[in-house]
Amino acid sequence: MTEHGQGLVFLITLIIFAAVMGLVLKRKITERFAILWMGVSLLLLLGSSLGFRYLFKIAQVFGIPYPPSALFLLVIFGLTLLIIELYAWVSKLNERSRALAQELALLRDALDREIASRSESQPANTL
Amino acid sequence: MVVVDDGSTDQTRRVVEGRARVVSLPCNLGIGGAVQTGLQIALREGYDLAVQVDGDGQHPPQEVAKLLQASRESGCDLVVGSRFRQARGYKSTPARRLGIGFFSFILSCICRTQVTDPTSGFRVMNRRAIQLLASRYSEDFPEVEALVQVHRAGLRMMEVPVEMAERRAGKSSIGTVKSILYMLKVPLAIFMSLLRERGNGLVH
Repeated sequence: MTEHGQGLVFLITLIIFAAVMGLVLKRKITERFAILWMGVSLLLLLGSSLGFRYLFKIAQVFGIPYPPSALFLLVIFGLTLLIIELYAWVSKLNERSRALAQELALLRDALDREIASRSESQPANTL
Repeated sequence: MVVVDDGSTDQTRRVVEGRARVVSLPCNLGIGGAVQTGLQIALREGYDLAVQVDGDGQHPPQEVAKLLQASRESGCDLVVGSRFRQARGYKSTPARRLGIGFFSFILSCICRTQVTDPTSGFRVMNRRAIQLLASRYSEDFPEVEALVQVHRAGLRMMEVPVEMAERRAGKSSIGTVKSILYMLKVPLAIFMSLLRERGNGLVH
C-alpha cells in the first residue's frame, strides 16, 4: 500500500477512535462496551500505523496469496466475535426485561388487590 | 383461578375481570413468560399444586379433576394430561401429530418412561415442580423442555389420559415458519440441557 493509502487508513481509524472516546465522555456507551470499543479502536489505530509491514508476513505464514485478504480475514473474525458478544448481551437484557415485566405484573396485581380490599373494608370518605 | 393476560389486545382483562383474577403483563412475553408468571404467583402465595390450562378451550375444565386425582394419588411432581392415551377427543392435525410423535420418542428415551404427549400444556405441578419451573422456564415452545428440566432435576412425572377439544377461538401461535423453528429449537435446547451438568437447576 502506498503512503498515501496508509495515511487514509490511519485517518479513518483515528476518526473511529475519536468517535468512541466522544461517546464514552458523553456516557453514551456503558463502561462494559466502552472498554471493549476503546480496545478495538486502539487495536485498529496500532494496526493501521504499523501493521502493514507485518501483513505480508502473516499472509505468508497462513498461505494467503493476496495479503490484503489476510487483513479482511482478521477483521471479519474480530467483528464476528464482537457480534457474538453483542448477542450474548442482548440475550441477557431480554432475560432481565422478562423478569422485570413479570415482577411488574405481580406487583401491580398485589397493589390492585390491596386497594380493592381497602376500599371494601373502609367507607370511601375515610380513604 | 388466575388468568395471565400476556399483553392481550382483545380486552381479555375487561372480559375476565370480576370472574377470575387477572394478572396483566405490561408487554407480550410469549407463552413461556406467561406460564412462568402464573407459576411465580403459585410459588409466592404458597400453593401446593398448580394447574396449567390453555386459554383457548382445548382443555376441558372437567378433566382437571383427573389430573388432580392422579397427582394426589401418585405423588408425582408433574402430571401431564395426554390426549393420546385415550381414543376419544381431539388429536390435532396429522402434521402436528408427526412432530409430537418425534418428540414423544426422544422424550421417552431421555426420561426412560413412556411420554405420549410431550407438547401438552394441560398439567398439574406440585410444590417442587413449581419451584423448579418458576425459577427457569423456556421462553418459546417451553412444554417439551420443561419435561426435560423436570427429569434432569430428578423429579417424577406421569401422564394421565384426558380428552381434549378443538381450539374454540383464536389461532395457533405456531404457523409454518414457526413449526420449522420449533423442530430446530426444541431438539437443540434438549441436546444442550443434556450436555449441561446433571442436576443443574435442581431446587434444594
